[in-house]
Amino acid sequence: MGDSMPTVMVTGANRGIGLEFARQYADAGWTVIATCRNPGRADALKALAGDVTVQAMDVGDPASIRAAKKGIGDAPIDVLINNAGLLGGRDQAFGATDYDTMGEVLRVNVIGPLAVAEAFVGNLEAGKGKRLATVSSRIGSIAENGSGGRYIYRPSKAGVNAVMKSVALDLAGQGILVAILHPGHVQTDMGGPKAPVSPADSVAGMRAVIDGLTPETSGHFFNYDGAVIAW
Amino acid sequence: MPTVLVTGSNRGIGLEFVRQYVAEGWRVIACCRRPDSGTALKVVGGNPRIEGLELADPASIHDLAVRLSGEAIDLLVNNAGVYGPDQTFGKTDYSAFEAVMRSNVLGPLAMVETLLPNLEKGGMKTVVAVSSTWGSIGGNKWGGHYLYGPSKAALNMVVKAQAIDLKDKGITLAAISPGWVRTDMGGEGAPLTAQDSVADMRTRIAELTLADSGSFISHAGGSIPW
Repeated sequence: MGDSMPTVMVTGANRGIGLEFARQYADAGWTVIATCRNPGRADALKALAGDVTVQAMDVGDPASIRAAKKGIGDAPIDVLINNAGLLGGRDQAFGATDYDTMGEVLRVNVIGPLAVAEAFVGNLEAGKGKRLATVSSRIGSIAENGSGGRYIYRPSKAGVNAVMKSVALDLAGQGILVAILHPGHVQTDMGGPKAPVSPADSVAGMRAVIDGLTPETSGHFFNYDGAVIAW
Repeated sequence: MPTVLVTGSNRGIGLEFVRQYVAEGWRVIACCRRPDSGTALKVVGGNPRIEGLELADPASIHDLAVRLSGEAIDLLVNNAGVYGPDQTFGKTDYSAFEAVMRSNVLGPLAMVETLLPNLEKGGMKTVVAVSSTWGSIGGNKWGGHYLYGPSKAALNMVVKAQAIDLKDKGITLAAISPGWVRTDMGGEGAPLTAQDSVADMRTRIAELTLADSGSFISHAGGSIPW
Protein backbone atom coordinates (compact mmCIF):
# COMPACT_ATOMS: atom_id res chain seq x y z
CA MET A 1 0.00 0.00 0.00
CA GLY A 2 1.04 3.62 -0.06
CA ASP A 3 0.60 6.68 -2.18
CA SER A 4 0.27 4.73 -5.39
CA MET A 5 -2.92 2.91 -4.37
CA PRO A 6 -6.16 4.40 -5.66
CA THR A 7 -8.92 5.89 -3.53
CA VAL A 8 -12.59 4.90 -3.62
CA MET A 9 -15.43 6.70 -1.92
CA VAL A 10 -18.55 4.65 -1.17
CA THR A 11 -21.83 6.11 0.12
CA GLY A 12 -24.17 4.07 2.31
CA ALA A 13 -21.21 1.92 3.32
CA ASN A 14 -22.45 0.74 6.71
CA ARG A 15 -24.26 -2.33 5.44
CA GLY A 16 -25.29 -4.46 2.50
CA ILE A 17 -23.77 -3.71 -0.87
CA GLY A 18 -22.00 -0.55 0.32
CA LEU A 19 -20.25 -2.42 3.12
CA GLU A 20 -19.18 -5.11 0.66
CA PHE A 21 -17.76 -2.49 -1.73
CA ALA A 22 -15.74 -1.02 1.17
CA ARG A 23 -14.55 -4.48 2.22
CA GLN A 24 -13.46 -5.58 -1.28
CA TYR A 25 -11.66 -2.35 -2.16
CA ALA A 26 -9.95 -2.32 1.27
CA ASP A 27 -8.88 -5.95 0.78
CA ALA A 28 -7.44 -4.96 -2.61
CA GLY A 29 -5.31 -2.37 -0.85
CA TRP A 30 -7.25 0.73 -1.89
CA THR A 31 -7.77 3.75 0.30
CA VAL A 32 -11.48 3.70 1.20
CA ILE A 33 -13.57 6.69 2.20
CA ALA A 34 -16.73 5.07 3.52
CA THR A 35 -19.70 7.31 4.20
CA CYS A 36 -22.87 6.61 6.13
CA ARG A 37 -25.49 8.59 8.01
CA ASN A 38 -24.44 7.49 11.47
CA PRO A 39 -20.81 6.38 11.93
CA GLY A 40 -21.60 5.79 15.62
CA ARG A 41 -23.65 2.76 14.62
CA ALA A 42 -21.42 1.52 11.77
CA ASP A 43 -19.69 -1.22 13.75
CA ALA A 44 -19.27 -3.64 10.83
CA LEU A 45 -17.74 -0.88 8.73
CA LYS A 46 -15.36 0.21 11.45
CA ALA A 47 -14.26 -3.40 11.96
CA LEU A 48 -13.00 -3.69 8.36
CA ALA A 49 -9.28 -4.29 7.94
CA GLY A 50 -7.30 -1.93 5.74
CA ASP A 51 -7.11 1.77 4.98
CA VAL A 52 -10.74 2.70 5.68
CA THR A 53 -11.89 6.14 6.82
CA VAL A 54 -15.48 6.52 7.96
CA GLN A 55 -17.11 9.86 7.14
CA ALA A 56 -20.59 10.94 8.23
CA MET A 57 -22.81 11.92 5.30
CA ASP A 58 -26.56 11.83 4.69
CA VAL A 59 -27.00 11.98 0.90
CA GLY A 60 -30.56 13.21 1.42
CA ASP A 61 -29.29 16.37 3.10
CA PRO A 62 -27.28 18.84 0.99
CA ALA A 63 -25.87 20.48 4.15
CA SER A 64 -24.52 17.11 5.28
CA ILE A 65 -22.91 16.59 1.85
CA ARG A 66 -21.27 20.02 2.10
CA ALA A 67 -19.93 19.16 5.56
CA ALA A 68 -18.52 15.84 4.29
CA LYS A 69 -16.89 17.67 1.38
CA LYS A 70 -15.25 19.98 3.87
CA GLY A 71 -13.95 16.99 5.82
CA ILE A 72 -12.59 15.23 2.73
CA GLY A 73 -11.28 18.42 1.12
CA ASP A 74 -9.50 18.18 -2.22
CA ALA A 75 -8.22 14.61 -1.78
CA PRO A 76 -8.16 12.86 -5.17
CA ILE A 77 -10.87 10.21 -5.57
CA ASP A 78 -10.41 7.64 -8.31
CA VAL A 79 -13.75 5.87 -8.03
CA LEU A 80 -16.88 7.36 -6.48
CA ILE A 81 -19.71 4.93 -5.81
CA ASN A 82 -23.17 6.34 -5.18
CA ASN A 83 -24.58 3.36 -3.34
CA ALA A 84 -26.79 4.84 -0.63
CA GLY A 85 -30.48 4.42 -1.34
CA LEU A 86 -33.85 3.73 0.19
CA LEU A 87 -36.56 1.24 -0.73
CA GLY A 88 -39.45 3.20 0.75
CA GLY A 89 -41.29 0.40 2.48
CA ARG A 90 -42.76 -2.87 1.31
CA ASP A 91 -46.28 -1.74 0.42
CA GLN A 92 -45.98 0.16 -2.84
CA ALA A 93 -49.15 -1.12 -4.50
CA PHE A 94 -51.37 1.09 -6.67
CA GLY A 95 -53.61 3.22 -4.50
CA ALA A 96 -51.47 2.84 -1.38
CA THR A 97 -48.74 5.38 -2.14
CA ASP A 98 -47.39 7.22 0.89
CA TYR A 99 -46.51 10.54 -0.74
CA ASP A 100 -44.27 11.76 2.08
CA THR A 101 -42.22 8.58 1.88
CA MET A 102 -42.07 8.93 -1.90
CA GLY A 103 -40.74 12.47 -1.53
CA GLU A 104 -38.03 11.23 0.83
CA VAL A 105 -37.06 8.35 -1.46
CA LEU A 106 -36.81 10.66 -4.46
CA ARG A 107 -34.64 13.02 -2.41
CA VAL A 108 -32.25 10.24 -1.36
CA ASN A 109 -32.26 8.08 -4.50
CA VAL A 110 -32.40 10.73 -7.25
CA ILE A 111 -31.27 14.08 -5.89
CA GLY A 112 -28.67 12.61 -3.50
CA PRO A 113 -26.48 10.97 -6.16
CA LEU A 114 -26.53 14.16 -8.23
CA ALA A 115 -25.64 16.26 -5.19
CA VAL A 116 -22.77 13.91 -4.32
CA ALA A 117 -21.50 14.02 -7.91
CA GLU A 118 -21.68 17.82 -7.95
CA ALA A 119 -19.90 18.11 -4.60
CA PHE A 120 -17.06 15.70 -5.39
CA VAL A 121 -16.52 16.18 -9.14
CA GLY A 122 -13.34 18.14 -8.37
CA ASN A 123 -11.98 15.20 -6.38
CA LEU A 124 -12.74 12.87 -9.31
CA GLU A 125 -10.98 15.22 -11.71
CA ALA A 126 -7.94 15.17 -9.39
CA GLY A 127 -7.93 11.34 -9.37
CA LYS A 128 -6.56 9.04 -12.05
CA GLY A 129 -9.46 6.59 -12.22
CA LYS A 130 -12.13 9.19 -13.04
CA ARG A 131 -15.04 6.81 -12.52
CA LEU A 132 -18.46 7.59 -11.11
CA ALA A 133 -20.76 4.65 -10.45
CA THR A 134 -24.32 4.68 -9.19
CA VAL A 135 -26.11 1.66 -7.79
CA SER A 136 -29.52 1.74 -9.45
CA SER A 137 -31.81 -1.23 -10.00
CA ARG A 138 -33.32 -3.20 -12.83
CA ILE A 139 -36.61 -2.40 -11.11
CA GLY A 140 -36.00 1.12 -12.50
CA SER A 141 -36.00 -0.15 -16.10
CA ILE A 142 -39.16 1.25 -17.69
CA ALA A 143 -38.78 -1.04 -20.69
CA GLU A 144 -38.53 -4.16 -18.51
CA ASN A 145 -41.38 -3.25 -16.19
CA GLY A 146 -43.84 -6.09 -16.70
CA SER A 147 -45.45 -6.28 -13.31
CA GLY A 148 -46.42 -2.78 -12.16
CA GLY A 149 -46.40 -1.77 -8.52
CA ARG A 150 -43.43 -0.44 -6.53
CA TYR A 151 -44.60 3.12 -7.13
CA ILE A 152 -41.96 4.68 -4.91
CA TYR A 153 -38.85 2.69 -5.75
CA ARG A 154 -39.31 2.28 -9.53
CA PRO A 155 -39.66 5.99 -10.44
CA SER A 156 -36.76 6.85 -8.14
CA LYS A 157 -34.44 4.50 -10.00
CA ALA A 158 -35.72 5.57 -13.46
CA GLY A 159 -35.09 9.13 -12.27
CA VAL A 160 -31.53 8.49 -11.14
CA ASN A 161 -30.83 6.65 -14.39
CA ALA A 162 -31.87 9.82 -16.24
CA VAL A 163 -29.69 11.95 -13.97
CA MET A 164 -26.63 9.78 -14.51
CA LYS A 165 -27.12 9.59 -18.28
CA SER A 166 -26.92 13.38 -18.33
CA VAL A 167 -23.91 13.36 -15.99
CA ALA A 168 -22.13 10.94 -18.36
CA LEU A 169 -22.71 13.34 -21.25
CA ASP A 170 -21.78 16.47 -19.31
CA LEU A 171 -18.58 15.06 -17.76
CA ALA A 172 -17.30 13.21 -20.85
CA GLY A 173 -15.18 16.25 -21.66
CA GLN A 174 -13.38 15.91 -18.32
CA GLY A 175 -12.68 12.24 -19.02
CA ILE A 176 -15.00 11.06 -16.26
CA LEU A 177 -16.69 7.73 -16.98
CA VAL A 178 -20.11 6.89 -15.56
CA ALA A 179 -21.64 3.50 -14.76
CA ILE A 180 -25.27 2.91 -13.82
CA LEU A 181 -25.44 -0.45 -12.08
CA HIS A 182 -27.95 -3.16 -11.31
CA PRO A 183 -26.47 -5.16 -8.43
CA GLY A 184 -28.68 -8.17 -9.00
CA HIS A 185 -31.17 -9.41 -6.44
CA VAL A 186 -28.77 -9.49 -3.51
CA GLN A 187 -28.94 -10.95 0.00
CA THR A 188 -29.14 -7.69 1.96
CA ASP A 189 -31.60 -5.99 4.31
CA MET A 190 -33.29 -4.62 1.17
CA GLY A 191 -33.09 -7.77 -0.97
CA GLY A 192 -33.99 -10.22 1.79
CA PRO A 193 -32.20 -13.38 2.94
CA LYS A 194 -33.52 -15.60 0.13
CA ALA A 195 -32.14 -13.45 -2.70
CA PRO A 196 -30.13 -15.47 -5.24
CA VAL A 197 -26.97 -13.32 -5.40
CA SER A 198 -24.42 -12.94 -2.61
CA PRO A 199 -23.07 -9.46 -1.86
CA ALA A 200 -19.57 -10.77 -2.60
CA ASP A 201 -20.47 -11.89 -6.15
CA SER A 202 -22.56 -8.80 -6.88
CA VAL A 203 -19.84 -6.40 -5.81
CA ALA A 204 -17.06 -8.34 -7.52
CA GLY A 205 -19.07 -8.13 -10.73
CA MET A 206 -19.81 -4.42 -10.36
CA ARG A 207 -16.14 -3.66 -9.60
CA ALA A 208 -15.22 -5.36 -12.88
CA VAL A 209 -17.86 -3.34 -14.74
CA ILE A 210 -16.57 -0.08 -13.23
CA ASP A 211 -12.99 -1.05 -14.05
CA GLY A 212 -13.92 -1.92 -17.64
CA LEU A 213 -15.71 1.34 -18.45
CA THR A 214 -14.68 3.09 -21.66
CA PRO A 215 -15.75 6.40 -23.19
CA GLU A 216 -18.00 4.37 -25.51
CA THR A 217 -19.79 2.58 -22.68
CA SER A 218 -19.97 5.50 -20.25
CA GLY A 219 -23.55 6.24 -19.24
CA HIS A 220 -24.84 2.74 -19.93
CA PHE A 221 -27.07 0.78 -17.55
CA PHE A 222 -25.22 -2.43 -16.63
CA ASN A 223 -26.19 -5.61 -14.87
CA TYR A 224 -23.54 -6.70 -12.36
CA ASP A 225 -22.39 -9.31 -14.88
CA GLY A 226 -21.71 -6.60 -17.47
CA ALA A 227 -24.80 -7.11 -19.65
CA VAL A 228 -26.48 -3.86 -20.75
CA ILE A 229 -30.03 -3.29 -19.48
CA ALA A 230 -32.69 -1.41 -21.49
CA TRP A 231 -33.93 1.92 -20.08
CA MET B 1 -70.54 14.37 -24.66
CA PRO B 2 -67.50 13.11 -22.78
CA THR B 3 -65.92 14.81 -19.81
CA VAL B 4 -62.24 15.76 -19.72
CA LEU B 5 -60.29 17.00 -16.72
CA VAL B 6 -57.20 19.06 -17.54
CA THR B 7 -54.59 20.06 -14.94
CA GLY B 8 -52.47 23.19 -15.33
CA SER B 9 -55.14 24.63 -17.55
CA ASN B 10 -54.61 28.36 -17.00
CA ARG B 11 -51.98 28.77 -19.71
CA GLY B 12 -49.94 27.15 -22.46
CA ILE B 13 -50.76 23.62 -23.50
CA GLY B 14 -53.32 23.10 -20.72
CA LEU B 15 -55.31 26.18 -21.72
CA GLU B 16 -55.26 25.04 -25.33
CA PHE B 17 -56.57 21.60 -24.35
CA VAL B 18 -59.46 23.36 -22.61
CA ARG B 19 -60.17 25.57 -25.62
CA GLN B 20 -60.20 22.71 -28.10
CA TYR B 21 -62.26 20.28 -26.04
CA VAL B 22 -64.75 23.07 -25.22
CA ALA B 23 -64.97 23.87 -28.95
CA GLU B 24 -65.76 20.20 -29.61
CA GLY B 25 -68.61 20.40 -27.14
CA TRP B 26 -67.00 18.32 -24.38
CA ARG B 27 -67.71 18.91 -20.73
CA VAL B 28 -64.44 20.34 -19.42
CA ILE B 29 -63.14 20.49 -15.85
CA ALA B 30 -60.25 22.95 -15.95
CA CYS B 31 -57.92 22.77 -12.94
CA CYS B 32 -55.34 25.34 -11.97
CA ARG B 33 -53.62 26.55 -8.81
CA ARG B 34 -55.44 29.84 -8.42
CA PRO B 35 -58.81 29.71 -10.14
CA ASP B 36 -59.54 33.35 -9.26
CA SER B 37 -56.56 34.54 -11.27
CA GLY B 38 -57.09 32.10 -14.13
CA THR B 39 -58.31 34.96 -16.31
CA ALA B 40 -57.43 33.34 -19.61
CA LEU B 41 -59.65 30.42 -18.64
CA LYS B 42 -62.59 32.71 -17.92
CA VAL B 43 -62.64 34.07 -21.45
CA VAL B 44 -62.80 30.59 -22.97
CA GLY B 45 -66.31 30.19 -24.32
CA GLY B 46 -68.54 27.31 -23.27
CA ASN B 47 -68.00 27.85 -19.55
CA PRO B 48 -65.50 25.21 -18.56
CA ARG B 49 -65.87 24.30 -14.92
CA ILE B 50 -62.87 25.82 -13.16
CA GLU B 51 -61.48 24.02 -10.10
CA GLY B 52 -58.61 24.96 -7.83
CA LEU B 53 -55.86 22.34 -7.58
CA GLU B 54 -52.36 22.39 -6.12
CA LEU B 55 -50.86 19.25 -7.67
CA ALA B 56 -47.87 19.24 -5.34
CA ASP B 57 -50.23 18.87 -2.38
CA PRO B 58 -51.98 15.48 -2.01
CA ALA B 59 -54.57 17.08 0.30
CA SER B 60 -55.58 19.44 -2.51
CA ILE B 61 -56.03 16.47 -4.84
CA HIS B 62 -58.12 14.74 -2.20
CA ASP B 63 -60.30 17.86 -1.84
CA LEU B 64 -60.83 17.94 -5.59
CA ALA B 65 -61.90 14.29 -5.54
CA VAL B 66 -64.44 15.08 -2.83
CA ARG B 67 -65.90 17.87 -4.99
CA LEU B 68 -66.04 15.55 -8.00
CA SER B 69 -67.42 12.59 -6.07
CA GLY B 70 -69.72 10.41 -8.17
CA GLU B 71 -68.96 12.22 -11.45
CA ALA B 72 -67.66 10.39 -14.47
CA ILE B 73 -64.36 11.50 -16.02
CA ASP B 74 -63.73 10.06 -19.46
CA LEU B 75 -60.31 11.54 -20.03
CA LEU B 76 -57.77 12.82 -17.53
CA VAL B 77 -55.04 15.02 -19.00
CA ASN B 78 -52.20 15.21 -16.48
CA ASN B 79 -50.72 18.30 -18.06
CA ALA B 80 -49.52 20.49 -15.19
CA GLY B 81 -45.78 20.52 -14.72
CA VAL B 82 -42.89 22.79 -13.94
CA TYR B 83 -39.44 23.14 -15.48
CA GLY B 84 -37.45 24.60 -12.59
CA PRO B 85 -34.35 26.85 -12.45
CA ASP B 86 -30.80 26.46 -13.87
CA GLN B 87 -30.18 22.84 -14.88
CA THR B 88 -26.45 22.99 -15.62
CA PHE B 89 -24.25 20.37 -13.90
CA GLY B 90 -22.89 21.88 -10.69
CA LYS B 91 -25.67 24.42 -10.30
CA THR B 92 -28.55 22.30 -9.06
CA ASP B 93 -30.91 23.88 -6.55
CA TYR B 94 -31.88 20.79 -4.56
CA SER B 95 -35.03 22.14 -2.96
CA ALA B 96 -36.22 23.28 -6.40
CA PHE B 97 -35.49 19.74 -7.65
CA GLU B 98 -37.73 18.35 -4.88
CA ALA B 99 -40.50 20.74 -5.86
CA VAL B 100 -40.24 19.69 -9.52
CA MET B 101 -40.50 16.04 -8.48
CA ARG B 102 -43.59 16.74 -6.39
CA SER B 103 -45.38 18.55 -9.22
CA ASN B 104 -44.24 16.40 -12.12
CA VAL B 105 -44.19 12.91 -10.57
CA LEU B 106 -46.13 12.69 -7.31
CA GLY B 107 -48.94 14.92 -8.59
CA PRO B 108 -49.82 12.90 -11.69
CA LEU B 109 -49.45 9.65 -9.72
CA ALA B 110 -51.76 10.89 -6.99
CA MET B 111 -54.32 12.20 -9.52
CA VAL B 112 -54.82 8.72 -10.96
CA GLU B 113 -54.89 7.03 -7.55
CA THR B 114 -57.35 9.55 -6.17
CA LEU B 115 -59.66 9.95 -9.19
CA LEU B 116 -59.76 6.25 -10.10
CA PRO B 117 -63.48 5.93 -9.17
CA ASN B 118 -64.30 8.81 -11.53
CA LEU B 119 -62.26 7.27 -14.34
CA GLU B 120 -63.97 3.90 -13.82
CA LYS B 121 -67.34 5.61 -14.28
CA GLY B 122 -66.25 7.18 -17.59
CA GLY B 123 -66.64 5.64 -21.03
CA MET B 124 -63.19 6.37 -22.45
CA LYS B 125 -61.24 5.38 -19.34
CA THR B 126 -58.15 7.17 -20.62
CA VAL B 127 -55.32 9.03 -18.90
CA VAL B 128 -52.58 10.90 -20.71
CA ALA B 129 -49.57 12.42 -19.01
CA VAL B 130 -47.92 15.29 -20.82
CA SER B 131 -44.30 14.18 -20.69
CA SER B 132 -41.30 15.36 -22.70
CA THR B 133 -38.55 14.10 -24.96
CA TRP B 134 -36.18 15.44 -22.24
CA GLY B 135 -37.51 12.49 -20.21
CA SER B 136 -36.26 9.99 -22.79
CA ILE B 137 -33.12 8.48 -21.21
CA GLY B 138 -32.20 6.57 -24.36
CA GLY B 139 -32.74 9.64 -26.50
CA ASN B 140 -30.66 11.96 -24.28
CA LYS B 141 -27.72 13.19 -26.33
CA TRP B 142 -27.39 16.63 -24.78
CA GLY B 143 -26.93 16.26 -21.03
CA GLY B 144 -28.22 18.90 -18.62
CA HIS B 145 -31.93 19.28 -17.78
CA TYR B 146 -31.19 17.76 -14.37
CA LEU B 147 -34.53 18.60 -12.76
CA TYR B 148 -36.91 18.34 -15.67
CA GLY B 149 -35.52 15.29 -17.53
CA PRO B 150 -35.38 12.91 -14.54
CA SER B 151 -38.81 14.10 -13.39
CA LYS B 152 -40.27 13.15 -16.76
CA ALA B 153 -38.39 9.80 -16.84
CA ALA B 154 -39.85 9.07 -13.40
CA LEU B 155 -43.29 10.16 -14.63
CA ASN B 156 -42.95 7.80 -17.61
CA MET B 157 -42.24 4.98 -15.15
CA VAL B 158 -45.36 5.85 -13.18
CA VAL B 159 -47.43 5.76 -16.38
CA LYS B 160 -45.96 2.38 -17.35
CA ALA B 161 -46.62 0.90 -13.91
CA GLN B 162 -50.17 2.28 -13.73
CA ALA B 163 -50.90 0.95 -17.23
CA ILE B 164 -49.99 -2.53 -16.01
CA ASP B 165 -51.91 -2.28 -12.75
CA LEU B 166 -55.07 -0.76 -14.28
CA LYS B 167 -55.32 -2.86 -17.44
CA ASP B 168 -57.85 -5.18 -15.79
CA LYS B 169 -60.08 -2.19 -15.16
CA GLY B 170 -59.91 -1.27 -18.84
CA ILE B 171 -58.03 1.96 -18.23
CA THR B 172 -55.60 3.13 -20.91
CA LEU B 173 -52.64 5.32 -19.94
CA ALA B 174 -50.02 6.93 -22.15
CA ALA B 175 -47.20 9.41 -21.77
CA ILE B 176 -47.17 11.90 -24.62
CA SER B 177 -44.61 14.43 -25.76
CA PRO B 178 -46.18 17.68 -26.96
CA GLY B 179 -43.12 18.57 -29.05
CA TRP B 180 -41.28 21.86 -28.61
CA VAL B 181 -44.12 24.31 -28.20
CA ARG B 182 -44.30 28.11 -28.11
CA THR B 183 -45.38 28.55 -24.48
CA ASP B 184 -43.96 30.20 -21.36
CA MET B 185 -41.92 27.02 -20.91
CA GLY B 186 -40.94 26.41 -24.53
CA GLY B 187 -40.08 30.01 -25.32
CA GLU B 188 -40.78 32.13 -28.37
CA GLY B 189 -38.29 30.32 -30.58
CA ALA B 190 -40.19 27.04 -30.43
CA PRO B 191 -41.34 25.73 -33.81
CA LEU B 192 -44.80 24.46 -32.79
CA THR B 193 -47.87 26.45 -31.81
CA ALA B 194 -49.89 25.22 -28.84
CA GLN B 195 -52.88 24.91 -31.22
CA ASP B 196 -51.07 22.50 -33.52
CA SER B 197 -49.46 20.52 -30.70
CA VAL B 198 -52.77 20.05 -28.89
CA ALA B 199 -54.63 19.23 -32.10
CA ASP B 200 -52.00 16.54 -32.74
CA MET B 201 -52.23 15.21 -29.19
CA ARG B 202 -56.03 15.06 -29.37
CA THR B 203 -55.70 12.94 -32.50
CA ARG B 204 -53.26 10.62 -30.72
CA ILE B 205 -55.56 10.41 -27.69
CA ALA B 206 -58.54 9.54 -29.90
CA GLU B 207 -56.48 6.74 -31.49
CA LEU B 208 -55.38 5.17 -28.18
CA THR B 209 -56.56 1.68 -27.39
CA LEU B 210 -56.01 -0.51 -24.34
CA ALA B 211 -53.35 -2.34 -26.37
CA ASP B 212 -51.33 0.90 -26.50
CA SER B 213 -51.51 1.41 -22.76
CA GLY B 214 -48.17 2.12 -21.13
CA SER B 215 -46.57 3.66 -24.21
CA PHE B 216 -44.58 6.87 -24.63
CA ILE B 217 -45.68 8.58 -27.84
CA SER B 218 -44.97 11.72 -29.78
CA HIS B 219 -47.65 14.30 -30.59
CA ALA B 220 -46.73 13.63 -34.22
CA GLY B 221 -47.30 9.89 -33.84
CA GLY B 222 -44.85 7.09 -33.22
CA SER B 223 -43.23 5.97 -30.03
CA ILE B 224 -40.35 7.59 -28.18
CA PRO B 225 -37.62 5.46 -26.58
CA TRP B 226 -37.62 5.27 -22.80
